[in-house]
Amino acid sequence: MNLLEFARGPAFNFALIVFVFGVVWRLAGLFLQWRRRDLSKPRQHNLIVAGTRAMLMRSLPPHELEKHIVFQHMSGYAWHIAWFISLLFFAPHLPFFKQFLGFAWPALPNWISLGAGAVALALLLTLVIRRATNPVLKQISTWDDYISVVLTILPLATGFLAYGRLLPIRYETLLALHLLSICALLVWYPFGKLMHLFLTFPSRFQAGALLGRKGVEA
Amino acid sequence: MSANIYEGGTAGLPQFRGGASKTAERPVSRRTDAERLARAKDVILREVDGAHATYLETCIRCGMCAEACHFYRATGEAKWTPIYKVQPLKRLYQRELGPMRWLHRLVTKDVTLKDLEDWQELVYDGCTECGRCDLMCPMGIQISPMIGIMRRALAEADLLPKELAAVAEEQKRDGTVFGVGRADILALVQQLAAKGIAVPVDKERATVVLLTSAVDLKGFQGSLEASARILNRMGVDWTLLSHSIELLGTGESLRELNVRRLVDEVTRRDAAVLILPECGHAYPALRFDSAHMLGEPVPFEVYSAAEYFGKAVQEGRLKLRKGAGEKVTYHDPCKVGRHGGVFDEPRAAIKALGLELKEMESHARTNYCCGGGGGQFLIERAKPLRQRAFEIKMREVDDTGAQAVLTGCNSCRINYLNGGANANWKTPVRSLVEVMAANLE
Ligand code: SF4
Ligand code: SF4
Repeated sequence: MNLLEFARGPAFNFALIVFVFGVVWRLAGLFLQWRRRDLSKPRQHNLIVAGTRAMLMRSLPPHELEKHIVFQHMSGYAWHIAWFISLLFFAPHLPFFKQFLGFAWPALPNWISLGAGAVALALLLTLVIRRATNPVLKQISTWDDYISVVLTILPLATGFLAYGRLLPIRYETLLALHLLSICALLVWYPFGKLMHLFLTFPSRFQAGALLGRKGVEA
Repeated sequence: MSANIYEGGTAGLPQFRGGASKTAERPVSRRTDAERLARAKDVILREVDGAHATYLETCIRCGMCAEACHFYRATGEAKWTPIYKVQPLKRLYQRELGPMRWLHRLVTKDVTLKDLEDWQELVYDGCTECGRCDLMCPMGIQISPMIGIMRRALAEADLLPKELAAVAEEQKRDGTVFGVGRADILALVQQLAAKGIAVPVDKERATVVLLTSAVDLKGFQGSLEASARILNRMGVDWTLLSHSIELLGTGESLRELNVRRLVDEVTRRDAAVLILPECGHAYPALRFDSAHMLGEPVPFEVYSAAEYFGKAVQEGRLKLRKGAGEKVTYHDPCKVGRHGGVFDEPRAAIKALGLELKEMESHARTNYCCGGGGGQFLIERAKPLRQRAFEIKMREVDDTGAQAVLTGCNSCRINYLNGGANANWKTPVRSLVEVMAANLE
């Protein structure tokens, strides 16, 4: 078995098992914890509406708050969107989705998905430098932040290396490294902050319902 | 006609201290360090539930919450970052409660008493539990309730700042706060009677129960007078409680004890309404938290004074004289506004007074704290920090061009008056209820 076969076969399967089991473990462990029942008389009765509204609206804080966070905020959303465009709409990725899911969707022109990947890479590198130098971020950062960002950058970086054949090694090896970087991302996923992909909406919902009970828009 | 927005208030502010003379400069704990740490951990482990867990697990450490906090915005010092203030709580959660605790026990440091000592400044001096950060977080994380847990944990570890410890000790020992208690309430009632203002005290039954507060008795006696005059004018069947001023306490057990006692007093009178004085911290405690403490909702409505009277205006039960359109701004007390949802009623009263409301840039739910809420105004060493935070407020008020600030919390008023005096800032700060009482139709 060569490296590419290993990456496509056992490594990917192992990563997928860890990912699925880990995510389920962490979500179940979290949602099964006891919760205090709020017995106070609510000011606003439809807390489901309040929670759902917060899930949708929390991306847009009020002007008084937004004006101080424009770069962090916009760059955060921008790299996520760019990263997912390059993952989901880059033509060479689509046969993989077809094989894995049984269906696929049209790809975007390469210049768009590669451009998105470049934007994501540039923003992630800027943000990690910012994390290491900004006093607030330095103070609250943990090893999880650096592991997570490196593992998010690696698929992009190895993808560019493989697509452009930018290293003097065999294409299959570059492709294997790209696949292994994705395996590493999947394995790490349930252990660190990347889980926020599953948790952001529950957290926002809770906040919306909590503040809604008090009659305050979240 | 003028709406009297400049008159009244407190000329010389009294010192708000607990029975400090009887209290050691540094509270000395009679417990061992191990006991103190265990008590603090116990509070955190008991209080953190699935909702807090979801918040803690969701934080991406983006640091945006810092930009909401007046202490960070005023100083630029990273240590005031809201989520950093709960770091020990998070570590304990990760090691003891989280689904990945088996991993965190290997890689996350345990919490020590030294950590808690180091966090005292962060959660007491550097947080007024104003909740502004709760609105900023893109993940919806509610940080201030977790800072509340940190504060209670530190209190259990005998790590209250000495001024707050003195208040707690005085309250436990003498049943007074800032040296005032029942005798002072009765004396004030007599003074009001001499002025022709009837204050029914401790009636066996009443539809509406009114409380006063230690802050009012000590510094803003006009507040009780104003509420009494309005209630009398409205013809409400009311009574003032003489032995249940909002002694809500700094430690969890004392707070619960006082809430229980107060709820009993109001329930015993078959009252439909409890009006809290112009005091921030009592409001969320009784309006929302009491149900959790008691295991059931309280059997009466809880209002803050400005809310109750503002609502009466909205419903046409209270008529006010219109002024000449003076420009005023309204300071939403954090605990009544962002933590309590009271925004419209005070504004309805301002409108009925014929005043022109000039909102601050940050108002209603995004209002900046006065800088001294959550007992912070008592902490002497935090004075420079408080002043820096207050300067944000001052700037926002100045930008409105308002001739006066109205508010519904006398603790906020203390901060405005102290902060304003330090900065030689002349804008008057008035109680909305007092302005209403001065303009009854
Ligand atoms: S803003 Fe929210 S997600 Fe970002 S660091 Fe603060 S608490 Fe964490
Ligand atoms: S509650 Fe207010 S004072 Fe405390 S950290 Fe949040 S914004 Fe700052």
